[in-house]
Amino acid sequence: MYRFSPAMDALIEGLRCLPGVGPKSAQRMALHLLERNREGALTLSRSLADAVERVGRCQQCRNLAEAVLCGICSDTGRDPTLLCIVETPGDILAIEQAGGYRGRYFVLMGHLSPIDGIGPEEIGLPILEALARDGEVQEVILATNPTVEGEATAYYITRMLEPLIPRLSRIAHGVPLGGELEYVDGSTLAHAFSGRQPVRGS
Amino acid sequence: MRVQLQPCYLLHRRPFRDNSELLDVFSVEYGRLGLIARGLSRRRRGGPLGALLQPFRPLLLSFSGKGELLTLTGAESGGELAPLHGEALLSAFYLSELLLRLLQRFEVQPALFTAYGAAIADLSDVASTGNARLSLEPALRRFEFRLLEELGYAVDLSTDASCGAVIRADAHYALVPDFGFREVAAAASPSNASFAGTDIMAIAEGHFDGVSGLAAKRMVRTLLHPHLGSTPLRSRSMFETTRGPRAQTGEEIEAGGV
Repeated sequence: MYRFSPAMDALIEGLRCLPGVGPKSAQRMALHLLERNREGALTLSRSLADAVERVGRCQQCRNLAEAVLCGICSDTGRDPTLLCIVETPGDILAIEQAGGYRGRYFVLMGHLSPIDGIGPEEIGLPILEALARDGEVQEVILATNPTVEGEATAYYITRMLEPLIPRLSRIAHGVPLGGELEYVDGSTLAHAFSGRQPVRGS
Repeated sequence: MRVQLQPCYLLHRRPFRDNSELLDVFSVEYGRLGLIARGLSRRRRGGPLGALLQPFRPLLLSFSGKGELLTLTGAESGGELAPLHGEALLSAFYLSELLLRLLQRFEVQPALFTAYGAAIADLSDVASTGNARLSLEPALRRFEFRLLEELGYAVDLSTDASCGAVIRADAHYALVPDFGFREVAAAASPSNASFAGTDIMAIAEGHFDGVSGLAAKRMVRTLLHPHLGSTPLRSRSMFETTRGPRAQTGEEIEAGGV
């Protein structure tokens, strides 16, 4: 088979580490960068090297951060007594985009999965416990996913934080906005009913 | 092979390639199967398919293919998601891990499938009535003894395997996995290495609570040990550390569910 050059091969091989990129797409990307957009390629390589070198974990919440503390943890405008526990940094983005929450976060980077051997240590629970023992946090909101593993994680954290935190809550599960009851799955509907809210006319 | 709406339980799922997942399911007619599921997080009416595929929920799965790994072609709910939480949920993970570790692929075990469903239902009952740990134990023991029996690892609970004599209430017995009970002098063995005749008789009658419950747990551990190998059960060690966050006594650990 014909090969361009060792450097080109290395680039194609390197691009294949991206999700969804096979040999063919990697080749197309490499050709595009070298043929049509060398400037873009340079920017990409610099920002990639920069990010890998500088971005680490926030020491307080385990979110991705460049400094010791992430932007949210170092923001003095945020309520330090509120802590929301999520599974991934992507969840933080989703909650931030939804707006309305002004507290801090703690990122587990996964959920408890006994069968995969992911235990409390792997999801940073010792750090969370130390944070809770500091005494600043007054309320913890458990926003792990409403999956079986997410529930197990929420339960474990509840057991751990109960003696330390005055208020613990779990996000509600219910019918999505704009959804149709007919097509909502049974267990979500059951949750929505058991967690119904009182309403008043005035 | 093309199978439509086969009753299954999901034992485990993990990400595979970009947006696929590998499912490990326990089906009634085909035993434990590996399935590839594609596009689980794709939006569709009634929520993504991935939301339906949760452990401890009766499922009706359609799949096709040949060889070790089949392809999931459809999924429907076969019943409600078991209302498990807390220790009952961790115990249910333990049951799934036992099946994952002990069942071979395509080993057909319809009776065990029923027993698994019954055990999940028992655990849910305990979770909803709320009188925790003590009632979890008998449900777990019932399933474990059933599992031993179905897989052929059970021992005869009524006779002394070395001489064929009937188990006596006042004697003490040592347990040899895959062989059975052998009478030993009561004084010669420490109490945690042998079993009292009364306990063995109680277990044979299906009494898994109180003193015979502890003996039953020890018995299961002894019998399963050679088949589980040297890797410890992860859900069991997690169950033990769950107690960790709170002050615990030695007695409490001993009484733990799994």
